[in-house]
Amino acid sequence: MTDETGTGVGVKPAAVDRPAKRAAPARVPWLARLLTAKETGVFLALVCMCLFLAFATESFLTTTNLLNVGRQISLLGIMAVGMTFVLVAGEIDLSVGSIYALSGLATGMLVIAGWPLLPALVLGLMIGASIGLINGLMSTYGRLPSLIATLGMLSIVRGTALLLTDGQPVTVNERNGAHPDVLASFEFMGQGYLFGIVPMQLVFFILVAAIGWLVLSRTAFGFRVFAVGGSAKAARVSGIHVHSVKIWAFVIMGMLAALAGILSMAFLPSGQAGRTGLGLELDVIAAVVVGGASLSGGIGTIPGTVLGVLIIGVLRNGLVLMGVSPFMQEVMIGLVIIIAVAIDKWSMRSRAS
Amino acid sequence: MAPTLLELKDITRTFPGVVAMDDVSVAFRAGEIHAVIGENGAGKSTMMNLLAGELQPDAGSILIDGKPTPIRSPIASQKLGIRVVFQELSLCQNLTVGENVLLSDFAARPALSHLARRRSAQAAAATLRELGLTDLETDTPVSSLTVAQQQLVEIARAISHRARILVLDEPNSALSPRESQRLFDLVRALKQQGVTILYVSHHLDEVLALADRISVMRDGRLITTLDNGPDLTVDQLVAHMVGREVDAAEQYALRPEAHAHIGEPVLDVRDLSVPGHIEHVSFSLSRGEILGVAGLPDSGKDILADAVFGLAPRGGTVEIGGIRLAPGRPYHAIAAGMSLIPADRRAAGALLSMTVAENTVSAALRRFARAGFLRGRPIRNTAHEYVGKLDARIAGLGQKIATLSGGNQQKIILARGLVTGPRVLILHEPTRGIDVGAKAEIYAILKQLAAEGLAVLMVSSELPEIMLHSSRVIVMADRTIAGQLSGSDITEEAIMALATRKSERRAA
Repeated sequence: MTDETGTGVGVKPAAVDRPAKRAAPARVPWLARLLTAKETGVFLALVCMCLFLAFATESFLTTTNLLNVGRQISLLGIMAVGMTFVLVAGEIDLSVGSIYALSGLATGMLVIAGWPLLPALVLGLMIGASIGLINGLMSTYGRLPSLIATLGMLSIVRGTALLLTDGQPVTVNERNGAHPDVLASFEFMGQGYLFGIVPMQLVFFILVAAIGWLVLSRTAFGFRVFAVGGSAKAARVSGIHVHSVKIWAFVIMGMLAALAGILSMAFLPSGQAGRTGLGLELDVIAAVVVGGASLSGGIGTIPGTVLGVLIIGVLRNGLVLMGVSPFMQEVMIGLVIIIAVAIDKWSMRSRAS
Repeated sequence: MAPTLLELKDITRTFPGVVAMDDVSVAFRAGEIHAVIGENGAGKSTMMNLLAGELQPDAGSILIDGKPTPIRSPIASQKLGIRVVFQELSLCQNLTVGENVLLSDFAARPALSHLARRRSAQAAAATLRELGLTDLETDTPVSSLTVAQQQLVEIARAISHRARILVLDEPNSALSPRESQRLFDLVRALKQQGVTILYVSHHLDEVLALADRISVMRDGRLITTLDNGPDLTVDQLVAHMVGREVDAAEQYALRPEAHAHIGEPVLDVRDLSVPGHIEHVSFSLSRGEILGVAGLPDSGKDILADAVFGLAPRGGTVEIGGIRLAPGRPYHAIAAGMSLIPADRRAAGALLSMTVAENTVSAALRRFARAGFLRGRPIRNTAHEYVGKLDARIAGLGQKIATLSGGNQQKIILARGLVTGPRVLILHEPTRGIDVGAKAEIYAILKQLAAEGLAVLMVSSELPEIMLHSSRVIVMADRTIAGQLSGSDITEEAIMALATRKSERRAA
């Protein structure tokens, strides 16, 4: 094979002769790849925070506390994985806090009503998936901006939860009619420990994150999510069904929000339509954005999101351990969100130039 | 004669108030290069959108291999083996070169199929090699490429999938002559492989060099389909396009005479530099002068307009009438008497969601406000005055600028640049994507403005534009000024000789 045209300036003949060499840039040593990865900044921030807390407090670096942090971030993390799909696809979903409440409460009520666990879970997840489907349809075929469509849905779903429960708290226990065996399995999902040590919620989060990471970074569907979020027009021209990709992202989001809501219900095991998951959508979006995803679409990774969730979780935990007042905690978390994203943007600008 | 592969039959497509395609019938043969030419608004882009599945005809049918085949969506179009490369770039800026090249490929895979990154990268590299694009690395982010390189990536994407019908819309509008040549070679090679190519272009000389047959459209109708041959000339094509003969000499007569009414210097640029783009650029510009800036795409000329205006970070000094302009402050430049007509109309020029009147006054709002409130009547009067002056064809001052044709949009943007009362007007690609008729009108306007004492700086990739309408020409190469030409020295040969040569400063 020769450079027959002879027109290319700056052609590297070696590369033409030995095509295998072309792939070489992909084979960078793992350490170098790690240091230049987009997530590195967030990761270093997390390490610094952990180091600081390890010295500043006695209880941070204990197995109990770390697993506790793991449990606390799990529900946020499960939803953040779904939100990563939605944001990368160039959309946003504000209704997730309401889905979390409705699905959890509905599943709890089914368990109380004596349903077996599996159908109750499936129905709870289907509620989330259906709301996601409606969100997706409105944002694509309905041509509504997803910010508006899901803002409306936030209110509708929350209202539905209030109507369903008549505004009363729902508590899942034997006295209310739950079958003891079903109740035991349900509570294990939320409160149990795998091998007697790893909280079940954390197990769910790890599973969801692992599957989410595989799908987003290793499959054709994941690639299409990036393409759609990068340029819907280019995606269309290339034969990608833009609407269907976006709808699937919303459905995944809805299902994961429902899963988190059900796990929360199983953990507590109670909820109230007026309070459960109120404002949660903002925490979820914050975590994903801290993890490096772009609100304008096309950019974001599951490892980044996991780091974003960890930062927020570790920060909250550290502030509690250090005895910072809950009011001050809110201020600190807000600052961290802004600083984290600002650092990301500035470092990106310097990389670009 | 090759059999007909694709046929449009009695196609009509209307938009509110416009018949974009009016009973058009045309046949494309298997393995031919079929050029489609016509002024803007002639119906070419509607035809492309029908083939891409973006639009549906109101009446008539599309036949492939003789069978009526509706193209209901872009996906359907892809499945039929049709690939459309639109002039406006549509690449995913967040992805790499390789990923963009393989976009169509990945689009067709089952949702949960595993993507092997390394093998994909090799496949993309193979496609790029086939095109002779060996200087592009597959793992480079597309966002770091030049527009010309992006255009090549887009074409690579279209042909990475063995297409039966390839539709190219002004495919070389951002390419250097050498890159264009590479593209033409590629188009001919694809033809040899039996691909049918629809080539939409404003560049009639290229069309004559490349096409087997040429279809001419005007006002939504197919005027004629000509067999290309040695007898066919650009003038004949233009005559079909505009419906009358245009005399080449008539165009040449428009050329401003050098030093005709050139006054005192008004713009003085000293040692201008933009890191990574241009270095040590110095020139001055006088009242009544039209200074053309030519150069190849990588010469640095494309950053010049932004740098002088203060949009791009710059070193060196820019003075207007002795006032030194601070970099990074376009409003300062406007206040000092400078206006910029940017190259990218849609992204940087027009406020697309706003009306003709709003666009016209948007650079001089303070003049039309009292205590912060905009005054409607003066705005309308001013807009009306400039619309008339520039002969912009609009339905009304309240019309959204996005609905105007390219030429009329450009006139409104030009009006905006003039409302501020500039002493220096900077134009970047002033007639890109504008039809022959509107081009001529814009040149006449520029000539008139120069005669009234305006200093005009015109940066352009179109050589005829530079040659016919500048009183003096700066040629850029290798990030700096390679040379200057004026009067009868301004010839295509002289410009290209300077543009393709390494600067003397470097050589020394």
